[in-house]
Amino acid sequence: MKAENINPFIQSISEVFESMLDSKVAVKDLHLSAADEGHPDIIGLIGLSGTAKGIVALKLPVPTALAIIGKMVGTGFKSVDSSVIDGVGELVNIVAGNAKAKFEGQSISLSLPTVVRGSIYRLQNLGEMVWLSLPFESELGEFSLEVSFKQMSTTKQEVAHASACGR
Amino acid sequence: MQVLVVDDSQIMRRIVIGALNKAGISDTLDAPDGREAIKILSEKNTVNLVLMDWNMPNMTGIEAIREIRAKNIKVPIIMVTTEGEKEKVIEAIKSGANDYLVKPFSPKDIQLKLEKFLKSEGQ
Repeated sequence: MKAENINPFIQSISEVFESMLDSKVAVKDLHLSAADEGHPDIIGLIGLSGTAKGIVALKLPVPTALAIIGKMVGTGFKSVDSSVIDGVGELVNIVAGNAKAKFEGQSISLSLPTVVRGSIYRLQNLGEMVWLSLPFESELGEFSLEVSFKQMSTTKQEVAHASACGR
Repeated sequence: MQVLVVDDSQIMRRIVIGALNKAGISDTLDAPDGREAIKILSEKNTVNLVLMDWNMPNMTGIEAIREIRAKNIKVPIIMVTTEGEKEKVIEAIKSGANDYLVKPFSPKDIQLKLEKFLKSEGQ
């Protein structure tokens, strides 16, 4: 995965934390992620399609999820309930949406987000795509964003042309 | 002033309603998708402003706006969405949205957008 494809996601996390959580984040050592790396408690997942395809996974330990969603709403959460799950889904939606807007000339659509809870699972891509892991530190706790992203050869202009030609 | 907040995320509805409360607006309604929003707007003519998400199950925000305008309901609608690309903004405005606010936003951003809306309504 190219650096220019990962920077929008790093910028997006920073902007979401600054504007919605009045908090700063620091990215640690980004690296290729093994399929079974880490066992966070909650994962927000959202799919990308269009002129780029991939998946964005926001991996949160429970204390971080409670702190982030609590601060977003201005309420303290003591345990993971439907509001926290809903909030994690919305958070990954905002992060991915904000990132995709930074890919100029691309036409990328988001799926509706999904939230997975538990620790016995494995995120695994089909085919040749790889996961890049972006671990973050923040005053609300540690978390990571994992991105599997591939730009397709078709640009938005080509999509528009294909559409105009009835393809 | 009554504001209808439409978003499939209950957390986002709470965040937006909280920002409205801080801006002095306590009369709010909420809906989880476009279909429910249209039902409310068809039954009530008391809503002064709609804050509408784009991506929602059952009926998206853009589909809802087109239907609302097709029903000749003239309530002002501000899109509040992650869809920040220029083409999306143009599509929303052409479909009948009056204004646009991109997520992520701060409570202050919502308040500024409301102040702008109230000022234009007062003219």
